[in-house]
Amino acid sequence: MNWDLIFWNALYTAISAAAAGYCIIASGLNVHVGYTGLLNFGQAGFAAIGAYAFAIPIVAYGWAWYWALPLMLVCSVLLALALGLPTLRLRADYLAIVTIAVAEIIRLFLNSTRFTWLTGGTDGRNGWTTFFEDLNPIDNTARFDMGAQSIDGYRLFMMIVGWCLAALIATFIWALMRSPWGRVLKSIREDEDAARALGKNVLAYKMQSLVIGGVIGSIGGLWLSAQKQSAQTGEFATTLTFFAFLIIVLGGLGRVKGPIVGTIIFFFVIQFVDNVLEQATRTDNIPDWIVDSTNFGIVKNVVAGLSLALLVIFRPQGIFGDKREQVFDVR
Amino acid sequence: MGTDRRRARSVRILLAAFVSLLVVGAFPSATSAQTDDEAPQSVRGKVQNRFEEDGERVTEPVPDVRIVLEDAGTLIGEDVTDADGSYFIGLEQTGTFTVRIDVTTLPDGLEVAEEDEVQDVEVGGNQNVTRVFFLGEDTRNVQSKWSLLPQTLANGLKLAMIIAITSIGLSLIFGTTGLSNFSHGEMVTFGAFVAFVFNSDVGWHLIPAALAAVAVTGLLGAGFEKGLWGPLRRRSTSLTSMMIVSIGIALAMRYFFLYLFGGDLKAFQQYTLQRDPVSIGPIDLPPRTLFIIGASALVIVGVALFLLRTRFGKAIRAVSDNPALASSSGIDTDRVVLLVWILGGALAGLGGVFYGLEFGIKWDMGFTLLLLMFAAITLGGLGNPFGALLGSLVIGIFVELWTWIVPNANDLKTVGALGVLILVLLVRPQGLLGSKERIG
Repeated sequence: MNWDLIFWNALYTAISAAAAGYCIIASGLNVHVGYTGLLNFGQAGFAAIGAYAFAIPIVAYGWAWYWALPLMLVCSVLLALALGLPTLRLRADYLAIVTIAVAEIIRLFLNSTRFTWLTGGTDGRNGWTTFFEDLNPIDNTARFDMGAQSIDGYRLFMMIVGWCLAALIATFIWALMRSPWGRVLKSIREDEDAARALGKNVLAYKMQSLVIGGVIGSIGGLWLSAQKQSAQTGEFATTLTFFAFLIIVLGGLGRVKGPIVGTIIFFFVIQFVDNVLEQATRTDNIPDWIVDSTNFGIVKNVVAGLSLALLVIFRPQGIFGDKREQVFDVR
Repeated sequence: MGTDRRRARSVRILLAAFVSLLVVGAFPSATSAQTDDEAPQSVRGKVQNRFEEDGERVTEPVPDVRIVLEDAGTLIGEDVTDADGSYFIGLEQTGTFTVRIDVTTLPDGLEVAEEDEVQDVEVGGNQNVTRVFFLGEDTRNVQSKWSLLPQTLANGLKLAMIIAITSIGLSLIFGTTGLSNFSHGEMVTFGAFVAFVFNSDVGWHLIPAALAAVAVTGLLGAGFEKGLWGPLRRRSTSLTSMMIVSIGIALAMRYFFLYLFGGDLKAFQQYTLQRDPVSIGPIDLPPRTLFIIGASALVIVGVALFLLRTRFGKAIRAVSDNPALASSSGIDTDRVVLLVWILGGALAGLGGVFYGLEFGIKWDMGFTLLLLMFAAITLGGLGNPFGALLGSLVIGIFVELWTWIVPNANDLKTVGALGVLILVLLVRPQGLLGSKERIG
């Protein structure tokens, strides 16, 4: 067992550019779930829009990035409106069901052979990240060592900028939630009727929260694909949403640091488990009937699912959370 | 289990090899080696006849078909397919051409679909581009769109029945406990896999295996209620938390199935039997499907009678309507909820077996079905079991109808149904049979 590599790879994964993307996606979800109490089960849909609404105009229509970016933001806002209008005045479960359904619809469209000409189908969309590559002051192909792990210049750049972006978004959310506007959101989460009795337009606030969290989620999705230099539909399955849930529950719902802390813990643990199993199967330290080289990678998903269930049951405030801030109580 | 997993593994490897072969065949790389012919560029390919024989897809080469390469109507080159069905047209120039199959040289009874008759081909320097023509028996022109409608509706009915028996449980659980159980789809998958293990590993006939699956999935439902949801309710965990717990359970179960059984589509042993379809007017259905529709209808009628006529059924509906009132009028709500979980689990297991029979057994089949189930019960009115039936009927038929309205959209099958769900929420959020107080 090469513990050195296991440790460094897990650490790298926890702070990689992909993790930064997840962190931003989870930050958006935190605005919905943690601060407003909106049960959005379709954050993967926002992330997919973020990646594809940016990639498609650039690759297929030759747009410049400064046109593609506003288009992506507009699409994201439209998606939030489309999700919110039919469901926000209904019980929380309706939003949950509709968001998971719409996220699936988006993924199916992106995967469909009918739209391969536009979306690249299951091959994904490539060749739209020149903007990021040109922006990078470091040599894109140079190798950099991080302990036993080696990464290229592009990933290093995306990692640094990604986490700066995540920190910026965290600050933005912190400022928002300190404002009177943010206090109304929290009051909606605590008691919607009370907020309404005080004359607040609950529906409008919920919609604004859905839009802001959704746009943040789209930015995260864009980052997730940009660091990979390819938009892949496989990234945007419903598991993405629930990993984001696990991240914000781990870090503490409705906490500014929550997504950052949660992401690092989540990816470190998941990648550590994965690496240990991978090494164990390769060196035959583990019998084949437990895991073999074909299915060791699935174990991490089982672990993630169980952790989500167990955390919500036994420690809903997360590892460092504050019990008073934790409310999963949307009627 | 060990040999089974190894078998699954080798199947996976074969599949991967097959897919990569297909990819290589479909997208020949620009740098593929030059062949014996001296022409720097070429267009080549095959003419193949695809048809179904005994339910299996067969592909055979079609010789002696003339293939013409044209540039805006002027002839550039031509070839006649050999015994392998292959043709080869060497090219001195590069550019964009059209390659056409000469339909007059086709053997009798074989047709090429009109949109496939002419294909565009772009040939760059030193490229060998492949264009394959697929023929088929002329089924397209005989069957007009309208004549396909009855068959589409029958397929929709079949899917509707399966959604109905699985979603009654989901609806009853929601009605009695308020929980939107996102792991209900995994109970369906569980049922299918239990039957699969009894059927192919233990070697039972499908019917006893299915009964065992129903029983075991019912037990799983009881286990969930006794071990998880009951205690959580007594701790007065919020419904939202429970919903997220159910998501976690669903995720863990789904990937556990993938871990145990692998990602390939599996089939029951007796699935291959009974292939001759029975014709009812314009509709052809295999006996298997007729059996599924009939058995589901019987089960649904049975459940409906149970809910309407028996004391337990009345108690379930009472708890659904108003748990506090039911409890204060002497109904043991915990027992009722336990019964609902057993019933819901058993029905999910049965639905899983039926779904597996029709569409194959796969680790994520439950998730696909879950969204349709949710669409059905929301459409019918959350918490109302008869609404669930009505909603299932609409959703099941709409899923198939969608592929009839939009051609070549098999991978978008569920999109139409999910779209209906969103529309209904806009217009009539309480669903078709729902009561208004549940929604706000």
